[in-house]
Amino acid sequence: MSARFPIEVSIGAFAGILALAAAAAPAPAVEIPRFVEETATSGVSHQYDGGWEFFVGGGVAVFDCNGDGRPDLYIAGGAGVSVLYRNESAVGGALRFAPVPDSGAEISDALGAYPLDVDGDAIADLIVLRVGENIALRGLGGCRFERANEAWGFEGGAAWSTSFSARWEQGRAWPTLAIGNYVDREAAGSPWGTCSDNVLHRPAANDSGFDRPSALSPGYCSLSMLFSDWDRSGRADLRVANDRHYYRGGEEQLWRLPPGEPPELYTRADGWKKLVVWGMGLAGHDLTGDGYPEYVVTSMGDNKVQSLVSAFQGPAYEDIALSRGLTAHRPFTGGDIQPSTGWHAEFQDVNNDGLIDLFIAKGNVEEMPEAAMRDPNNLLMGQPDGTFIEGAEQAGIISYARGRGAALADLNLDGMPDLVVVNRRDPVQLWRNAGRGDAANPVPIGNWLALRLRQSGGNRDAVGAWVEVKAGGRVQRREITVGGGHAGGTLGWVHLGLGSEATAEVRVEWPGGRTGEWIPVQANRFFVIERERNGARRWVPVM
Amino acid sequence: MKSLTRIIAGAAVGLAMGVTASATAFAQEIIVGVSWANFQEERWKTDEAAMKSVLDKLGVKYISADAQSSSEKQLADIESLITRGATALIVIAWDSEAILPAVARASAEGIPVVGYDRLIEDPGVFYLTFDNVEVGRIQAREIFKVQPKGNYVFIKGAATDPNADFLHAGQLEVLQAAIDSGDIKIVGDQYTDAWLPENAQKNMEQILTATNNKVDAVVASNDGTAGGVVAALSAQGLEGLPVSGQDGDHAALNRVARGLQTVSVWKDARALGRAAANIAVQLAKGASLDDIEGSVIFSDGPKGANMHSILLKPVPIRHDNLDVVIDAKWVSREVVCQGVGANAPAACK
Repeated sequence: MSARFPIEVSIGAFAGILALAAAAAPAPAVEIPRFVEETATSGVSHQYDGGWEFFVGGGVAVFDCNGDGRPDLYIAGGAGVSVLYRNESAVGGALRFAPVPDSGAEISDALGAYPLDVDGDAIADLIVLRVGENIALRGLGGCRFERANEAWGFEGGAAWSTSFSARWEQGRAWPTLAIGNYVDREAAGSPWGTCSDNVLHRPAANDSGFDRPSALSPGYCSLSMLFSDWDRSGRADLRVANDRHYYRGGEEQLWRLPPGEPPELYTRADGWKKLVVWGMGLAGHDLTGDGYPEYVVTSMGDNKVQSLVSAFQGPAYEDIALSRGLTAHRPFTGGDIQPSTGWHAEFQDVNNDGLIDLFIAKGNVEEMPEAAMRDPNNLLMGQPDGTFIEGAEQAGIISYARGRGAALADLNLDGMPDLVVVNRRDPVQLWRNAGRGDAANPVPIGNWLALRLRQSGGNRDAVGAWVEVKAGGRVQRREITVGGGHAGGTLGWVHLGLGSEATAEVRVEWPGGRTGEWIPVQANRFFVIERERNGARRWVPVM
Repeated sequence: MKSLTRIIAGAAVGLAMGVTASATAFAQEIIVGVSWANFQEERWKTDEAAMKSVLDKLGVKYISADAQSSSEKQLADIESLITRGATALIVIAWDSEAILPAVARASAEGIPVVGYDRLIEDPGVFYLTFDNVEVGRIQAREIFKVQPKGNYVFIKGAATDPNADFLHAGQLEVLQAAIDSGDIKIVGDQYTDAWLPENAQKNMEQILTATNNKVDAVVASNDGTAGGVVAALSAQGLEGLPVSGQDGDHAALNRVARGLQTVSVWKDARALGRAAANIAVQLAKGASLDDIEGSVIFSDGPKGANMHSILLKPVPIRHDNLDVVIDAKWVSREVVCQGVGANAPAACK
């Protein structure tokens, strides 16, 4: 239960708690970056649409499909065809994408997709979630893909799949894949109380491909799931967000998954408390600075922020959304007073001030009268006192389309995270982060770092690692995960803001436990850190 | 029979309790705290005014908080109402599950809670609402009275709204025997996306086309959808067919006066508000849940818990009793009677 090594406590986080306790002094202003919408000129022209099976979903997978370091986009098409867009943006320039013809990833009836290197060949693959058979796409390089269900023994099933996460068990070259399913439409009484089981694909005994899938039962209509090392035991467990609209007698779940053993739900006896929400999206980040991740669960009305009470009391969480200003329960502008509907959630430092920010995609399910119709996305900006303020309006990202999936990723490699949002029944939108400047002259607000982890063996991207960055007396942490969000995720550069610090030190707690040395690095650069080598290797994009 | 006995006994105890409780009332000021789910929604202003009118008369202090659709804020709100001295709570729950810790907190402090309009399924809470299944029964009953045979159409609410099915269950309860005997034939049965009148109109147009206008009665689930239905009927020269509705919308009441709609089932928010205030004050004075006059056991919630409750009866507003809504000042006579012709209702004469 206890952490395997002492966790260096962040000084900044302590200061934050003190500031919360004082609460009298007005919070210092946080500089909100300006986002410039470039949907029309981006070359991305895509819509997520379809019948009620596609009220949910609408994910985007962000990853590098051709090895140029630029994040490319694979966007679900719903009843239509999903499209792969190659990133052709100039460094620091306008966002430019081109659809890849005959990529091999043109798949219909997809709700979303997650990138990960399944077969350990150092080329990103995709798991595509569908109404019907899920499809594993093996990356061939050069933004080409081929179906790999048969080659990998990946049985795609026939369910309505809506969530995904993956981890590598200790000593295994192939990952364990968890797939969350939604309503079983064939069951009597559907859709009420007829959630399908979720499934687990574990590596085959010879560590090449997968065993037959096993059930994760009961399933409660999961819309997001995330393997995360919640207690820093070195083993990621599976957090599952479930949609109470359809389940009966269900709740949020946390599965204990000891390597090679059957999954087991954490129970009340373990400390897990009942939580019933319209769980749509998950994101983890250590907000309190205690070394353990908090989890945001998006929902209708309040979004939840679960904080571990104590690592010694099992998975007992308290909610800190209200005290941190993260409930984001109804539209902050637009005049609609009904509750919001939250979907994709993602932590990212969009203004590079070293304080994490949170994006939440919002949008009515379809025409649900008890929920807001004009439901703008949130950009909740982290403040020094640990609370958050809404910055979406000032950032210029107000949209009243039905937001679903999204990603905050540095698409033009200028050190400022950009934004892509997938909307249901409206075009995908893209915004370029111009910092405190404008489209012609983007100016970063703070310094930054971009890191990529590599190791040999199957788990090339070191999923399950923790990155620690020390700068100006503060420590920031990032857990490398695959999953969460809503129907899509990011594989690639890990972005951190450094504020005014020009240098930092980085160390990695690699999967399996070994913690590397502190490595000094210069701000505003890209670095690749390899487990088998000392130091960090600088990477420079081709302009 | 059993429950009837209990009600009578309970009422008697209630009177006795009222006397003893008033003696102790000197010790503590009664303060009724109301926790609103989302007070910015227009309808709650009516409920609040009704509550305040009763509390003012009784000399009881009213305090309130607005959760603004946040379950977390509502938990904090209730905490703060308790801190501010509330001796009874009326709670309009935004999230009936998430509210439970706050209810437990109130119980621990001995503060009674009235669950208002929305079920809070905790046996310690008094549940006060309108009888929603009865709304569907009344709709069907009123249509069946004027059209006991023929081709019926159901225009239901939104498929995503469980209330749409509750209403429809009540409608079927009344009509099933006639459907089984063949007296009534269902020629159309449609959900209405988002309860929108224009969607109801579209659906009704399609049903009329498919049946070659052979429709004798329409059971519509609320006044909005009834409006869409009446528009579709009028376009075919079929205005005046039996059509049901719900909500006492001003436009619907005018349709009732003009003979274009048979009934609008009306739930008087003021009656609900007044009842809540009275019950809260009684409970604050020490009455037990059993003591509340008219209290019955409700166990149709998802968990099947036995809840002390009062389910107020909704009122069918027809051509012959429109004065009920006018006398209650729900709507003015001018609005109801606008454009009535030769067959004007008594209320418009």
